[in-house]
Amino acid sequence: MKSTAWLTVARREIITKITDRAFLFGTLGLVVILAGALGVQAFFANQATEYAVVTSSSAGYQIGEQVRTVAEAEDDKTTVSLSEAPGDAAASQVVKDGDADVWLHEGDGGWVLTGKDNVDSGLTIAATTAIRDAVLRTNAAAAGTSVELLQRGSAVSTSILDGDAERAGVAKAVGFALAMLFYVASLTFGIALANSVVEEKASRIVEIITTKISVRELLAGKVMGNLALALAQMALFVGVGLIGLTFTDYDRFVPAISGAVGWFVVFFVVGFGLLSCLWAVAGALATRTEDVQSTSMPLTTLTMAVFFAALFVDGTVKTVLSFVPPFSAILMPIRVLEGSAPWWQALAALAILVLAAGLVVQVAARLYQRSLLQTQGRLSLRQAWATPE
Amino acid sequence: MDDSGHGSLLELDGLSRSFGDLRAVDDVSFTVPGGQMTGFVGGNGAGKTTTMRLVMGLLATHAGEVRWNGEPMTAARRRRIGYMPEERGLYPKQKALDQLVYLGELSGMTAAAAKAAVLDHLERFGLADRAGERVEKLSLGNQQRVQIIAALMTSPDALILDEPFSGLDPQAVDSMVDLLREHTARGVPVLFSSHQLELVERLCDRLVVLSKGRVVASGAVDELRGAGPERYRITVGGDAGWVRDQPGIHVHDVDGSTALLEFPDSAARQALLRAALDRGDVLDFARQVPALSEIYREVTA
Repeated sequence: MKSTAWLTVARREIITKITDRAFLFGTLGLVVILAGALGVQAFFANQATEYAVVTSSSAGYQIGEQVRTVAEAEDDKTTVSLSEAPGDAAASQVVKDGDADVWLHEGDGGWVLTGKDNVDSGLTIAATTAIRDAVLRTNAAAAGTSVELLQRGSAVSTSILDGDAERAGVAKAVGFALAMLFYVASLTFGIALANSVVEEKASRIVEIITTKISVRELLAGKVMGNLALALAQMALFVGVGLIGLTFTDYDRFVPAISGAVGWFVVFFVVGFGLLSCLWAVAGALATRTEDVQSTSMPLTTLTMAVFFAALFVDGTVKTVLSFVPPFSAILMPIRVLEGSAPWWQALAALAILVLAAGLVVQVAARLYQRSLLQTQGRLSLRQAWATPE
Repeated sequence: MDDSGHGSLLELDGLSRSFGDLRAVDDVSFTVPGGQMTGFVGGNGAGKTTTMRLVMGLLATHAGEVRWNGEPMTAARRRRIGYMPEERGLYPKQKALDQLVYLGELSGMTAAAAKAAVLDHLERFGLADRAGERVEKLSLGNQQRVQIIAALMTSPDALILDEPFSGLDPQAVDSMVDLLREHTARGVPVLFSSHQLELVERLCDRLVVLSKGRVVASGAVDELRGAGPERYRITVGGDAGWVRDQPGIHVHDVDGSTALLEFPDSAARQALLRAALDRGDVLDFARQVPALSEIYREVTA
């Protein structure tokens, strides 16, 4: 029974939290905002566009078919419908009546797209490409050559020596999102944990609890309970995010992101555990809820530093910090995501983080134990360390 | 009932604890036998709470040992002790039933057994209908009851209660006393501290008096009372001042027609009574057993 005492504590932490309205509504609110943002993206990505084109000659109709091929190949949500009117006046009337978007007809030295009050730019681009290619082909044939010959050697493409530009962009965006998640989770759960520790201390129930179970078991239960909740919350956010992404134009990045998220979860668990122990100590150093703000000040700063480091550091500093706990908790997964860290570096950083977490747990348990029964005002770290048991 | 009780034995042997230069508990030794209620009295700052925390392992002892049936006290043993701290506390925002079940589980009970025990105790305190309420919504007296249940619900092997009666109305004191008697009837040692000496006098089989961190008196209440000099109170019809002129007796106090006297032997006692009858009415002549408060004042003076 004794070995499961921390489980009982963890269970209480979880139940207390998930029956707390503020926590529930906060989580739900964030999910709704996230789903909403992705929903808007998905809506625009999936919106079907239909262009109605009317022509007034068979040559026009043939060119119109070329335009349709190009436009529909460009974007599979686009459809072009073609119709032929008996003469220019009739075609012009069809556009005026709003039954077609544009009238495609020959003009001086080329083709004209005539709209009622505007001509859609998407259609203009598709038409320009299609008509230029078609006319070019005809002209080339007339001159006894071919388009391919004419265009030989004129192709221009781009390439980047330092990594993959697209991947770097995605890494930046996803890295930001993950750093944000880590920051928000460790801050909100951290503050809640510190408050729940000080609640136990202020209400003196800790005196009853610690005659029943050891202080370490209590600390372990509280940290584990919060970790489980934070993970569940994060899984919810990431899940909604990834599923949402598959409905948007960014769906092709989902497989790459999912892999990096795996690393992120592992680092999150250890890093969050490390920070949680410190938050618990911050709570134990206080005597009243009002004190928590000042005892947790260094931690709030540290958490913010980790967040901003994830956003702004670069180059050698980034490489070095990606091995330094607790910065490594978020910087290393980001480097994995960017492709700048091989797996052995990630493992090494993880090992260092685990070691640091182990050390922090030892120190935190001592501080926690010694400050729990001290109810005279705030304690400094030094006082807590030196306080006899 | 023999002195060792018919159950277990909690022993404190030479416990000492200092906070900086302050020796809060100084070489404290006494026993709490099973099946008896031991009262723990002493002024503010005498070291009662510190002693209890030492017994519960909440503070480390600087010297001495706590023993349970002759064996050193262990963490597993302490889990089986019902403890009620002086500064009361429960989770203010959690429901009474839920947190009592939680504390029961931490003591090693199954959730079902804890729930049954809690409901039974709530019933006894007339709180059955408040089980689902948050503790902060309960009155202070009811919070106190919930706190007591936390200590008693596990059928503990011993009870260490710091000021269990403070804040209770007389009716609650009575049901609390009944409850404690049930536990002593099981042979459980009960140690409780209190400022209310009349209550201690009414309840306790044994008494430990602490002053400035030291035990100044300890033993069965009857022994402690009998240990002092035998005193007799005499009330006569007129002024009792004449007793001062009687040879061979010690006059402790004279107040109008009443005098408090000590006699070296029974012959002196007979002589005084005869002299009093010669002078007129004798309204009262009786052996005076000292009240606990007098013993307390004497030993802590």
